[in-house]
Amino acid sequence: MSEKKNLKNLLNNKMQRRTFLKWSGAIGIPVIAGGIGTKMLVDSKEETTVLNAKEKEKIISTCSINNCGGRCVIKAHVKDGVVVRVSTDTQESGDLSVPPLRACVRGRNYRSMLYHPDRLKYPMKRVGKRGEGKFKRISWEEAIETIASEVKRIGDQYGPESRYVNYASGQSWGLHGGKNAARKLLSLTGGFLNYRNDYSSGAGNVATPYTYGTNNSGSSFDSLLHSKYIILWGQNPSEMIFSTPYREYLMQAKKNGAKIIVIDPRYTDTVIAFADEWIPILPTTDNAMMDAMGYVIITEKLHDQAFLDKYCIGFDGDHMPDGVPKEESLKSYLLGEKDGIAKTPEWAEKICRVPANKIREIAREYAKTKPAALIQGWAAQRQAYGEQFMRGGAQLACLTGNVGKIGGWAAGTGYWSRSDIVYPFSYENPVKASIPCFLWTKAVEKGTEMTAADGLEGTEKLTSNIKLIFNMAGNMLINQHSDINKTVKLLEDESKVEFIVVSDLYMTPSAKFADILLPGTTFFERYDIGVPWCFGDYVVFGDKTIDPLYECRDEYDVFADVAGKLGLKEKFTEGKTTLDLVKESVERTKKELNPNFPTFEEFRGKGVHHFKYDAPLVGFKEQIDDLENHPFETPTGKIELFSKALWDMNNHDEIPAIAKYIPAWEGPEDPLKEKFPLQLISWHYKRRCHSTYDNQPWLEESAKQEMWMNPTDAEKRGINNGDRVQVNNERGSLFIDVKVTPRITPGVVGIPQGAWYTPDKEGLDQRGSVNVLTSQRPTPLAKANPQLTNLVEVKKGKE
Amino acid sequence: MTATTESLHIQLQPFFLSRKKFYQLLHLLFLPPNNKVLAGIRNRANFHDLEEVHEGGKILQHFFGHLSNEQINKEKEEYQRLFIGPGPLAAPPWESYYRSKEQMLFEEWTYQIREQYHQFGLQFMKENKEPDDHLLLELEFMIFLTDKSMQEARPERILELIVSQINFLEKHLTIWIPFFCERVIENTNSQLYLGAAMLLEDFLIFDLTSLLELGEALTDV
Repeated sequence: MSEKKNLKNLLNNKMQRRTFLKWSGAIGIPVIAGGIGTKMLVDSKEETTVLNAKEKEKIISTCSINNCGGRCVIKAHVKDGVVVRVSTDTQESGDLSVPPLRACVRGRNYRSMLYHPDRLKYPMKRVGKRGEGKFKRISWEEAIETIASEVKRIGDQYGPESRYVNYASGQSWGLHGGKNAARKLLSLTGGFLNYRNDYSSGAGNVATPYTYGTNNSGSSFDSLLHSKYIILWGQNPSEMIFSTPYREYLMQAKKNGAKIIVIDPRYTDTVIAFADEWIPILPTTDNAMMDAMGYVIITEKLHDQAFLDKYCIGFDGDHMPDGVPKEESLKSYLLGEKDGIAKTPEWAEKICRVPANKIREIAREYAKTKPAALIQGWAAQRQAYGEQFMRGGAQLACLTGNVGKIGGWAAGTGYWSRSDIVYPFSYENPVKASIPCFLWTKAVEKGTEMTAADGLEGTEKLTSNIKLIFNMAGNMLINQHSDINKTVKLLEDESKVEFIVVSDLYMTPSAKFADILLPGTTFFERYDIGVPWCFGDYVVFGDKTIDPLYECRDEYDVFADVAGKLGLKEKFTEGKTTLDLVKESVERTKKELNPNFPTFEEFRGKGVHHFKYDAPLVGFKEQIDDLENHPFETPTGKIELFSKALWDMNNHDEIPAIAKYIPAWEGPEDPLKEKFPLQLISWHYKRRCHSTYDNQPWLEESAKQEMWMNPTDAEKRGINNGDRVQVNNERGSLFIDVKVTPRITPGVVGIPQGAWYTPDKEGLDQRGSVNVLTSQRPTPLAKANPQLTNLVEVKKGKE
Repeated sequence: MTATTESLHIQLQPFFLSRKKFYQLLHLLFLPPNNKVLAGIRNRANFHDLEEVHEGGKILQHFFGHLSNEQINKEKEEYQRLFIGPGPLAAPPWESYYRSKEQMLFEEWTYQIREQYHQFGLQFMKENKEPDDHLLLELEFMIFLTDKSMQEARPERILELIVSQINFLEKHLTIWIPFFCERVIENTNSQLYLGAAMLLEDFLIFDLTSLLELGEALTDV
């Protein structure tokens, strides 16, 4: 009885007195029928199975297809529809015909990327001013309707050349993806303005073919096992994954006894892991060292005269094209016969800071140790006269006769490929006009004024400036293009580009400039196939691991719906899903290209396929073995150390016919150095793929965004390790923490590229986004990005 | 015996009903705002009586006293900024975010919550598309449990349901909600979400105390 009384007391008195309940007991609750989110818990559909059968962990092998050079195997451990962890390839090292495709630090973070709270979750439309970052959630129906009507309106009003799909490096490889889906839609509705080239090896892609007729100047990595001497010139495969197993081969080459030299302004992770010697050099001056190496090789008669006579045009006065004076030859230039300047190591030392004797030593070793591989990275061609760097390396390979020989290397851009798959999703653009990708902002500003001199091809004149941009899974709209401040102003003007669609995983600096913002999928949420850039004998299956989260959708499906709105769905999909595309690729690859290719189920089961070959692929072996029947793809059929085509362009100071050192604007010889005394470079950081993953905390922990600066430069400015500094030039200003380290050449500072532009109220970047400081001035021949050519000053910043 | 059972069931009705209404109100306050929801709350919930005793109530009383279309539009923007995105959220409304070391979604807490729903024959409509541990879902689950308690006549079942609610509050809501509310309070100037967050945090702690006391009393019976 007494206990009962207690309860009664409690309920009637103590609790009733509690104001909360007293109050809520008295209020009315409005009934909101059918409102969003009013009732989200429903009767469980499969109560018994859900309750009893806890699913066992499944391992699904998949692959990311962003613009990393490699493709690694990502194993998703899935339980109850959720990725609980990721692991990677378990293939043992040792057998180089099946090298392990293991994930680097970036790959280990993929689960966090998938389930990060900042994922874009729903379609949005812009409500504030463009770039302000104000959006409103909308339905997919509204998003698709808007895109369809703008595609039509802008096409009708300005013509198809006003529509553009921007270069992008997010979901950028594979069989489908946003870029291709957008291009197909535009192709079906009149077409779009094409772009050519890329931001990676833009100068090289145009320059190397003037020497060799092609960019495929590389050899398969197993050829390096035969090399005795390897120069990695501005290449950093420890951070920048050119191909997932490349480093396995490089390590084996080293074990086989090859001496490895790394030439780089920074003491990189590659130097630490592989190099016998590090040669620091000033950015933009590589060709001075190359010229001097050539000088040493010729004057010490270490060159391969027979090779040069047989295969090359323009080495000496006896091998010049018709109508070109003899003293324009490479040899004449190096000896200074015309300009009176012999390109001696002493001459070069003053420019590039590599000691003359060191240049001599490297030149001799490279020329005498056979076979030798001079492998060029692409950083040093992302500069004012980047074309010269790529042709300069090729020149040295020819001087030493290292072309077409196993264990040698032809240098130049260095692509190689012998393993391909079928790409079933295709489009045909009725518009033939194209611009160099780096000049898209020019085509926004004054496209109709562009001419062949700006790299416009396929038409004399454009009918319109760019009015519509699809920026799918890319950050080139703001962050990765040069001169962010300039691009921001351009895009803020809504009368210029009238409509911008962005699809992405996160709210990137580019996504902020969307008019319609779409939530994309990660590779976990879709089917695809991963192939490495252009180097590697493997493909990786990209299995769909889980259904897309939130309201995220594949761009393929989105654009199929947009096509549907315009009555073109069937033409767009041809009745195929993305899974159908993957199956078709596998089946047709087996049938049309390679009978040893696995079936769809086999490929899916294994997750990876290694193509096997009996011998290494050696670049230009056919030509060197039998030039008569296999000429080079150049106008003369030979290697053109001297290019008549370049000569005829008649701009010999900036576009010389032979590769040579040209002092860069904003290089170490530019008078602007008085005001901005430090050269600024950037590099591909191990914690990011371009700008992808910049918002991932694990990766920031693994490698912080910070600027490298030499102690001598820091001391002069009263800067200590860890200080916050302000870096500026006439284009912009940013704040970043500094790492004071002898691992970078004096006079040079380095900022890892790809940090997300994060302006404060005054518009000053707080994250260290290097493109605040870079220039939109293109290289002379390729019209490519010069983003490693910058002069800056650094001062201690506010805390 | 029957009489006692009935009487317990009946005795507890007002208590459960008040709690249910409180949870319903909190749920409404954190729904995507629109005219219907906000005008509905203004017309039926009387914050005037709460004004004296709770700071959050006072703020809400002021907010609902000055409700206008313009204000509602501002709240829509604010709601999107705090809880929807795009981009980093000022106050992510998921339990996993506050409890995992890495501030991720779909961490173990999401599954613990999911299991709770499943145990009661419930399932989130967007299971595996969105996390199960969203604030609105956890509140909806509390409404469900309270409702179930009201409908239950058997004392031992009532006790079980009370224990379930205690566990859910103890192991989940009262652990992460204070951090969530702190984020809201620090990041918003909105009277609506400031008041709602203060009320949410205090009510949950109060509710847990009440249930613990009730549980003890019932065990004594």
